[in-house]
Amino acid sequence: MSLRYDLVVIGAGLIGAATAWRCARAGASVLIVEAGHANAGASGQNAGSLHFQIERRFLENGDRLAEEAARIVTLSRMAIDDWASLEDDLAADLHVRRDGGLMVAETPDEIALLEAKVKREGAAGLGTILLDGDAARHIAPYLAGSVAAAGFLREEGHADPRAVTPAFLRSASLQGAELRTATRVTDIQAVRPGFDVELRHDERAQTVRAGRVLIAAGAWSPRVATLANIHLPIFPVALQMNATERVRPLVPHLVQHVGRRLSMKQSHAGNILIGGGWPAKLRRGADGGFDPGLRPEPIEASRVGNLQVATMVVPAVAEMNLLRCWTGVTAITADQLPIVGEIPRLPGLFVAAGGSAFTLGPSFARLIARQIMDQDRAEADDALAVVAPARFEHLNGFMG
Amino acid sequence: MNGRITHHVTRGAKLSITLDGRTLDAFEGETIATVIMALSSPAFRQDSRGDPRGLFCNMGTCSECFVSVRRISGPVRRLRACLTPVSDGMVIETTGGYDV
Amino acid sequence: MAAATIVARQGLRVIVMDEQQRPGGQILRQPPRAFGVRGWLDGRTYRGVKATLAAFETEPEIRWCGGRSALGLAREEGTFVVHAAGMDDVLRITADRVLVATGCYDLPVPLAGWTLPGVLAAGGVQAFIKSQQFVPGERFVFAGTHPLMLVIAAQIVTAGGEVALVAFDQSRTRAAAPLLAKPWTTLRNIEIFASAAAALMTLRRHRVPVRYGMPLTAITGEHQVSAARFDAMRVECDRVAMCYGFVPQSDLPRMAGASTIWASPAGGWRTLHNEWMATDVEGLWIAGETAGVAGAAAAIEEGRLAAFAILRSAGKAPDTDLPAKQARRRLARLQGFTNLLADVADPGAVLTRAVPEDTILCRCEDVSFGSVSAALDETLAPNAVKLLTRCGMGLCQGRSCEPALLRLIASRSGDKIGSAGGFAARFPARPVQIGDLIQPASVAATATISSEAID
Repeated sequence: MSLRYDLVVIGAGLIGAATAWRCARAGASVLIVEAGHANAGASGQNAGSLHFQIERRFLENGDRLAEEAARIVTLSRMAIDDWASLEDDLAADLHVRRDGGLMVAETPDEIALLEAKVKREGAAGLGTILLDGDAARHIAPYLAGSVAAAGFLREEGHADPRAVTPAFLRSASLQGAELRTATRVTDIQAVRPGFDVELRHDERAQTVRAGRVLIAAGAWSPRVATLANIHLPIFPVALQMNATERVRPLVPHLVQHVGRRLSMKQSHAGNILIGGGWPAKLRRGADGGFDPGLRPEPIEASRVGNLQVATMVVPAVAEMNLLRCWTGVTAITADQLPIVGEIPRLPGLFVAAGGSAFTLGPSFARLIARQIMDQDRAEADDALAVVAPARFEHLNGFMG
Repeated sequence: MNGRITHHVTRGAKLSITLDGRTLDAFEGETIATVIMALSSPAFRQDSRGDPRGLFCNMGTCSECFVSVRRISGPVRRLRACLTPVSDGMVIETTGGYDV
Repeated sequence: MAAATIVARQGLRVIVMDEQQRPGGQILRQPPRAFGVRGWLDGRTYRGVKATLAAFETEPEIRWCGGRSALGLAREEGTFVVHAAGMDDVLRITADRVLVATGCYDLPVPLAGWTLPGVLAAGGVQAFIKSQQFVPGERFVFAGTHPLMLVIAAQIVTAGGEVALVAFDQSRTRAAAPLLAKPWTTLRNIEIFASAAAALMTLRRHRVPVRYGMPLTAITGEHQVSAARFDAMRVECDRVAMCYGFVPQSDLPRMAGASTIWASPAGGWRTLHNEWMATDVEGLWIAGETAGVAGAAAAIEEGRLAAFAILRSAGKAPDTDLPAKQARRRLARLQGFTNLLADVADPGAVLTRAVPEDTILCRCEDVSFGSVSAALDETLAPNAVKLLTRCGMGLCQGRSCEPALLRLIASRSGDKIGSAGGFAARFPARPVQIGDLIQPASVAATATISSEAID
């Protein structure tokens, strides 16, 4: 085991694993450090949506956020390309299915919202098509009669989160990256150049020298950033998901709703996964703060509400058996956009966390790897400007 | 009637059910599992590899015996055969490689 | 039933829920109402339990909800919420207090060919005989470690069925050793051993071979069982009944956050409790196999204890100290027998035996031992293995595969089984139709003191 690495990645989720692979491939010596086991957090718990249409949560709060979301569309268009080649790049079956996504509307208000969204997307270069109810049911006969319109984007779909991170990790390992699980980071000291990173495994401590550090620890990222004396406005979010028993192929598309919380798809195994941002309840740790490591409590109203919307949009769901509800923790930032890039006051310290990291994860990883390796840096900086840590630098103005 | 104990046992009313299109006799109070196990081939479903599978625990915990059930009224339901009493006119289908 | 009767007699409103249509659980396994069975469960062994059943069925304050599966147990603002799914709808029940006595199930033991139609849990065979008056096959082979299979095999031949062989995995010496080591405990519980002896005699009369030191190595057949293999020896049959012990069911207490521990020797999670059968979740008590596999007599005593505790918590029973002490004394005596039986029936040797790589480990998702072993090269965390292989993601939610998986993990890590945790217990404990779930019928506790037992 070496004591010097070009890059230490903290967190073996999707982004950490993907960035590790990119950098190792480009010749860097990489160590990935994971406190639990790989893919344990949101990366493995999410439902695998590949969504590129502007998300409902950005439309909820009026125009301002919708503008930011439109800027994300540029990243989405990159993600469409990145996902197209991923299975080949990793020589792995990630169960990527892209038969299109439908964002449905039922009421006149929702239709209006949908129309506005489609217009924005068009202006940003995303080819969403507005369909009326009948046209929607023509390509998706499983949709309810109450669906009055739908935004259809051919490139949307889903992949298997349980396969993606492990595939990145295997490829990273083939390129020489090292993975240590059950290993916590207990200190980060800037030593210019580089960082001393203290690790703890089985009660034994060890310090490694890192040329660069990437914090990709999802909801745990703020705690890790604390070790480097940095504030990160990333907050844990507890969500709830439902899975039906395996059923015959019925829903080939990713189905969302413009006015209500809903995201549905049928996994490669046949289970219908039903989610859409329904809250679960975060648990508090011994210190009184939210603990993202404790399994959130399910909320009955979320389960019922989610399943009600699902059955309204896809009536066949009512006859299926619910197999399992689970909760997981993801992360959200102060302005709902992820934080991806270099921390201005600590050059060499990078962050990639804060949500949307399944769909956009591989793209974030590709771009931040360029920043880390200083290859085509300007282009990467430009693409990541909308999610740059610099926008929160004011929070660290008094951090010594 | 294969397997049914008759010594010291009186059964309830005879009724008629359909299993995969086949009409079968059954008795009030019997579970769907009993009726299927009385047949020569005790298969309840096919697994994801297409192999036939049968009932295992007979008490609702192993989930091997899920079948599709339609009664006179109501939606088609996927129920555990070992816990479901038969009723007259019940239409039962064993399931393919998917759970449904 | 014992608990519900005691509690109801003091005026608390009780709902009792069970997956079976009629009360009595797996021990009594009452035949359907539409059947008439002369001489049902005659004999001294069943006298006590039948008395309990009679008292239960005639108690007016008890509302019986048979044919319903409890989907989950949650606390909401000091009240418990239980969803009870039936064939037509879901009931949403609220209660101040809950007793979970969800029993146990047969330990699934993966081995070559065990997923063929015709392979049954021995307990499942017994259930057919008792509550359906039905012999579920033509020619049975019983294999396992637990003496209960002698009783069940005897029940089959008495009913006119055919048993080709009863094969104990452990040697006769190994089976008898615990009995010889604890002669007083054996003698004190001679009645229970008498029923095993009676079964042996019945089997002898019907010329059924009973063998020891004969491990079942494979089950063979084209589309259903045609033979059981014991190394080179092949026994033709159409049913194989496996009897390797029992696993406690603690899904509901785990969902409610109660602490559990890995049970010995067969495995599974048993819920921890104090001397009043209270779990570490306020308002939640347990009784019976959920607390650890110990048999019907112990279950009744634990039910009594829990009932006394429930009444005390409701301020309803000042004189429970003495009966509680007596129940505990009886339990202590029974504990000796329980340990003895567990020793005799210990499936430990079977469970660590290697099986062919293509043997199915997860029955619901058809995941092989080979797939799981490959995943164990990458991780030893149960949930990580689940994510990588789909083991535990199927309809039974890990009930059939968790014991075997955790054993594999323990053998690789060298740590105690269960120390790495297990699968999370999640709603719903049993599959439920979504249409029913989104419009449940509510049954609220209207009295300020109400109690509910889930059986």
